[in-house]
Amino acid sequence: MHLSAYLLLVASLLFALFFAGAAAAQLWQGRSTALPWIEKAHLMLTGFMTLSSVVLLHALVNFDFSLVYVASYTDRALPLFYRMTAFWAGQAGSMLFWAWCVALFGVIFAVTNGYRDLSPQTKLWYWLFFLAVMAFFLLILTAWSNPFLTAAPAPADGNGLNPLLQNPGMIFHPPLLFLGYGGFAIPGCLALAQAMSNGYGREGAWAGISRPFTLTAWLFLTAGIVLGGWWSYMELGWGGYWAWDPVENASLIPWLVSTAFLHTSVIESRRGKLHRVNILLMALTTISAFFATYLVRSGVVDSLHAFGDGGVGRPLLIFILASTALTVAVTLIWRKDDAKPLSGIDSREGFLVLVAWVLLALSAIILVATMWPVFSKFWVEKPMGLEPAFYNRVCLPLFAGIAVLLSICPWLGWKGGVRSMPKLLAVLGVMAAVTAMTWYTYRMPMAALGAGAGAACVAGIIILLTTEAHVRRNNASLAAHGVHLGLALMVLGVAFSGPYKLEQEVEIPRDTTVKLGKYDLRYVNLYEGEGAGYIFIEAELNVTREGAPVGVLSPQRRLYAKFDRQAYAEAATIFGLGDELYATLLGVDSSGAATLKVSVNPLVNWVWIGGTLMCIAPFLGLGGLRRPSSSRDEDGDTGDGQEA
Amino acid sequence: MSKKNGKSLYLVALALFLGGVGYLVFSGFSQNSVYFLNVSEALAMPSDKLQSIRMFGTVAPEGIARLDDGPGVRFLLEDKDNPGQTVRVMYRGAVPDTFKEGVEVIVEGGMPQGGAAAEFRAKTLMTKCPSKYEKENRKG
Repeated sequence: MHLSAYLLLVASLLFALFFAGAAAAQLWQGRSTALPWIEKAHLMLTGFMTLSSVVLLHALVNFDFSLVYVASYTDRALPLFYRMTAFWAGQAGSMLFWAWCVALFGVIFAVTNGYRDLSPQTKLWYWLFFLAVMAFFLLILTAWSNPFLTAAPAPADGNGLNPLLQNPGMIFHPPLLFLGYGGFAIPGCLALAQAMSNGYGREGAWAGISRPFTLTAWLFLTAGIVLGGWWSYMELGWGGYWAWDPVENASLIPWLVSTAFLHTSVIESRRGKLHRVNILLMALTTISAFFATYLVRSGVVDSLHAFGDGGVGRPLLIFILASTALTVAVTLIWRKDDAKPLSGIDSREGFLVLVAWVLLALSAIILVATMWPVFSKFWVEKPMGLEPAFYNRVCLPLFAGIAVLLSICPWLGWKGGVRSMPKLLAVLGVMAAVTAMTWYTYRMPMAALGAGAGAACVAGIIILLTTEAHVRRNNASLAAHGVHLGLALMVLGVAFSGPYKLEQEVEIPRDTTVKLGKYDLRYVNLYEGEGAGYIFIEAELNVTREGAPVGVLSPQRRLYAKFDRQAYAEAATIFGLGDELYATLLGVDSSGAATLKVSVNPLVNWVWIGGTLMCIAPFLGLGGLRRPSSSRDEDGDTGDGQEA
Repeated sequence: MSKKNGKSLYLVALALFLGGVGYLVFSGFSQNSVYFLNVSEALAMPSDKLQSIRMFGTVAPEGIARLDDGPGVRFLLEDKDNPGQTVRVMYRGAVPDTFKEGVEVIVEGGMPQGGAAAEFRAKTLMTKCPSKYEKENRKG
């Protein structure tokens, strides 16, 4: 059965190659007779991939340790839920999952009205690009990263799933990222296809047609990144949500490029400008998703997450370079004659362009900085790398800049001029006041500016929603404002929880107190216990604030049966919208003295609240697209509100 | 005329923006870049260049000793490909859960000047994440 699952993947590869070739041949001959066959071929290929995914899932669920993959990531003690989610616990499985998602997205896209109304030429180009991407995935799955490798004789038990992944939050972090990466394949291929077929004006614009896919992908990607941050804060017990590790940076790059695209695409759909820029950005988004995988999987940069090479590095790099060259060539060749010039920089258009610049600058900086150990080898003999302090110094001012732009933008007109001077002044007043206040207390310019800009955005959006009825009625603008409100809350959360965090590492005997700012943490007791598949010790800390009781912190240290000699810290928190108390138990000695890491994190929960809002708000924009009207007036999304 | 003005404004803004970003990046590169070295590479460098580096290696099986006074550990860091080459490392602070012999770790810190037998003072000690993935690494 495993061999047939592998053969199904091989068959899919052949299908993808053959029908991509067929699409190319038809374009060459100027015909489109094979189009129905190509569409059916994709259905077929998706069916094959679904079958092989089912085979893998079946093996995972039924403890079939003759598969190397199953033996590597599960064991007999693993609950059903985690056996199923072990699908994406390793490289081969996650590649299959990603490819399968892309294939399914392709099937969904092929039944939409937007696809049906495309010209045959555009469709052929689209399938050529899309099937080429599929073929690449399948080549990886059949050649370098085969999930159906077998071992004989089969081991009696598997290695078990990494305890870090045995967490409902973490287990959904990778698939969300893959869904995000995968979703961008549709708009990316369609953008290039429409440019090649010159279908502009004669059929629906690609950006509008593929918008649900772009938004869905963006929303999954955002959710994946936020969840990853939350996991690193809570589950890893690192106490931090972002460490500028290469793997974290890798997922941020597609996010930044796609967000830049969302902003410039507003200018295209509402104002009919920047077509070429949008094709480039969309295709780059798709490519950067592959680049993210390359960075994570190739071992090119040493990272905390040692995923290891597994041989996919080189093919990925070749694919990335080739598709970037193709994209650049397509955008350079393609021309649109009736493109209008942009309005002045002091208009809403201008600000959208500025935001896109900042986002692209951020992605370029993060890309170069992450790859610096590789690049620097060209001129210094030993590789140089960059510390997290580099990113904080360079990137945080740019993020604060985005928040400043965002607080001003809604009050500008599309063609220039201020829509409402009093409201703009009110918002600027909030910004100045909050900045001055935080500066006065803490003397940290960037944190103060971030706090001021974040507060100003929140104030501005509240003013906008309460005073302008047409904004409330328009789902697309509500979605955009929701996302922006989420971002503003995140900026506020980061601006406070980053610089004003209090943290201590202490080793204390029982019945002693640690002082942390206004809080006293008293270590009163130590327990032992047992959970599902692990044993734990737990410290009990009574927390008081200036004498008044706040709550109890019970950080644990767990030992999993399958992962002996390795203890895992389970952090404990006392939730608070202001200060959040946080504790991890790092160790206990024979006398019962505990080594603890304790911290007070001001406003940290606003990072998660904002992040959640950013993932939920786009749904409003998706809903807006189902209305039966032309695609022209539905895309105010991520712009800054609908202007009459 | 106004269009032309608009375009030149964009160019001015772009120049200002790139200038600002360029300055930030430049200052970042000059102040926050450190050598990323394997143990063997670090051993080959003169110690005055090792004031602030990030070093990659594997924890040697022998010589792991917890500090007596507070959290921390002393250990031998050996080169990934060349286990004969080792550096003595002292780290004060919370030792990660996954720290043990044979794991790959990343240390940040510096070599105090003077003497070849000097001990590397690590400010941070990070272990590479899931050990499960390393198995894959070896197979591949």
